[in-house]
Amino acid sequence: MNAIQKILLNQIDLSDETFSVNFMPDLQGLRSSIKAIGFIQPVLLRKEKGHYRIVCGFRRIWVLKELGVFEIPAMVFEEKEPSDLELFVLSLQENLTTRGFNAVEKAIALQKLIHRFQLEHSEVVKTYLHLFSLEPNEKILNTYLSLAEMEDETKRFVLREEVSRSNIRLLAQMSSEDRMALLPFLSLLKLGENRLREMLTLLSEISRRERISIKEVIDRPDIQGILSQKELTPIQRTERVKRVLMNLRHPKMKQMEEEFDRKRKAFNLPVGVSVHHAPYFEGKGLKMEFQFESTEEYRTILNSLSELVDKKEFKKLIESS
Amino acid sequence: MKRKEMLSFKIEKIYLDVKAETNWVTRHILKSLPDVPVERVEDKKNLIKQFLPITDPIGMGKRNLLITHFYGRRLKPCPGTSRHICCGYYVINPITNCPMDCSYCVLQGYLNNPFLTLYSNWDDLLQEVESFLAIGRPPLSRLGTGELSDSLALESIFPISQFLVPFFAKKNAILELKTKSTEVEHLLSLDHRGRTVVSWSLNPPQVIEEEERGTASLEERIDAAKRCQEAGYPLGFHFDPMIDHEGWEKGYEGLINFLFSRIDPKRVVWISLGGFRYPAQLKGIAEERFPKTRIFLGELFPGGDGKFRYFKTIRVEMYRKMVKWLKQVSPDLFIYLCMESQEVWKEVFGWSPQNSQQLNQLFEERVKKFIKIPVEYRPALLGG
Ligand code: SF4
Repeated sequence: MNAIQKILLNQIDLSDETFSVNFMPDLQGLRSSIKAIGFIQPVLLRKEKGHYRIVCGFRRIWVLKELGVFEIPAMVFEEKEPSDLELFVLSLQENLTTRGFNAVEKAIALQKLIHRFQLEHSEVVKTYLHLFSLEPNEKILNTYLSLAEMEDETKRFVLREEVSRSNIRLLAQMSSEDRMALLPFLSLLKLGENRLREMLTLLSEISRRERISIKEVIDRPDIQGILSQKELTPIQRTERVKRVLMNLRHPKMKQMEEEFDRKRKAFNLPVGVSVHHAPYFEGKGLKMEFQFESTEEYRTILNSLSELVDKKEFKKLIESS
Repeated sequence: MKRKEMLSFKIEKIYLDVKAETNWVTRHILKSLPDVPVERVEDKKNLIKQFLPITDPIGMGKRNLLITHFYGRRLKPCPGTSRHICCGYYVINPITNCPMDCSYCVLQGYLNNPFLTLYSNWDDLLQEVESFLAIGRPPLSRLGTGELSDSLALESIFPISQFLVPFFAKKNAILELKTKSTEVEHLLSLDHRGRTVVSWSLNPPQVIEEEERGTASLEERIDAAKRCQEAGYPLGFHFDPMIDHEGWEKGYEGLINFLFSRIDPKRVVWISLGGFRYPAQLKGIAEERFPKTRIFLGELFPGGDGKFRYFKTIRVEMYRKMVKWLKQVSPDLFIYLCMESQEVWKEVFGWSPQNSQQLNQLFEERVKKFIKIPVEYRPALLGG
């Protein structure tokens, strides 16, 4: 490598992304810093026939070009030496010391190591995952590789919502068309990590049970109806959509719940009293709950409850439970 | 009916714990696998640790055999719960893990050691069984080897049946060998004296095809059962796990008819029914290993014991129909439910054993009908 030189920007091939792993780079911060204190750190280039290839410093070069700069300081590697893989690793290390990588950039870097630089999965697991602060585990590598294959819209969603690895795996199991249908749907809901997992699992299980696409599930009129109700908050919308999905996922349970409700409504429970079946209808018996604030209220409830004994609808509910 | 060839499994490597090196069982295993490379292992914990981060340690474990020594008890009561009626079974574990690969197999989430593992201190195990039976067990206690593996899958490597069947032939107890394989060759010439029940887990061909990789086809299993029937063994059949799938009624009814077109119901000592159930951790593991599996798409909910089961109405409907189809074959078949509550028993049969002990007695009576009780055991039996 030669000492720092001034290189004309128009001699640099900006379209060559061999060593780039950028995804949604934050150029604003860099722009302000260059404007304020100027350009300090030289970029790394490699000499090619008639032009230069960027090894490290893509974002800096973009910003400088945008600012109308003609030439930049650079350290230049000669043609052929060192190897592309060595330069790629060098650029990763450089970037790690200056800025770190987001999840998609990690995914792109790992994908390049496997596909462009032809490394074995086992070698990437052993030698490279720790560079990105990831545990040396093949499942983790596969998760990032699947993220690298996803559409840019999904990648942006993953970054914006800080989607966890387990949820990335769920997204990876879906078709690209389903993911594209899913993104606008998810943006209307309020989902943390666990609720997102729950929603993705419900959608994919319903789609597999019914042998229809996830897009078809989302496009159902009952779901679209909820999504179009502007007066609902995202939390309310999420709850209602979830209820619809739960019912679709567990139709027999839904039927039993409805039946139970019908029987319960057939007799009038005193105010403040509720009656429950065993969890998931597993096990016999009913549970009754009531609330009171005075002995008077307590007595009223007890009197009404004792009247229930003679109601045939109440007996029916007990017998069927 | 379509035949599915038994996928013969291949052991890629043997890991030999140095502590098991000089044992006769080890020598026997190495002799039966002469072309398989052997690596000596000083520290098996470290070996296991090395394999855990790979993508599919469970799949890898099925192709690699660990021969080691087992410290501790290998005979235990079958793990039932107080909420359920249990049949009072005991499990013996000479092997852990299994070369077959069923998507629903609980071993995937259960064993810390993914290797197919054969324990070389076989004599200790026999001693353990001997001492267990010596201390006034109820007569005709039932013990089986099919909990942590398939009972017969490793017969070609180490024929466990050749040691266990003659051993039990002299005991006042019943051994059950439970399998999804056709590995019965070693059994046929043994003097079992009716003390060994050979049993098969059965599912309709579609479920076998989709969810029970590496197992014998239905037809092959029933052929193997027929050979055992001809060799005088009492037979058992386990419709467990029953899978709720599209067309299950046709599948299971067809299965029962096919089974009893070849097998004499009078030679069947017991039949169990059990709906698919699983501990919470299994779903993630199995879905990752078998992305196409449909077993978790049923309506399954967690019960008081933490295990997920089909919604009760689904289970009851499945069991009722199975009982009806089975009783049409022969009203004398002895059918029981595995790990179900009294309530479910009542809904299915119209009655229920009062408790696990009563079910145990029913088993005892059933077994007595199948075996000739030798003179020396009679007093014990009469005395209860
Ligand atoms: S045969 Fe039994 S032990 Fe073997 S994989 Fe299948 S369920 Fe598991």
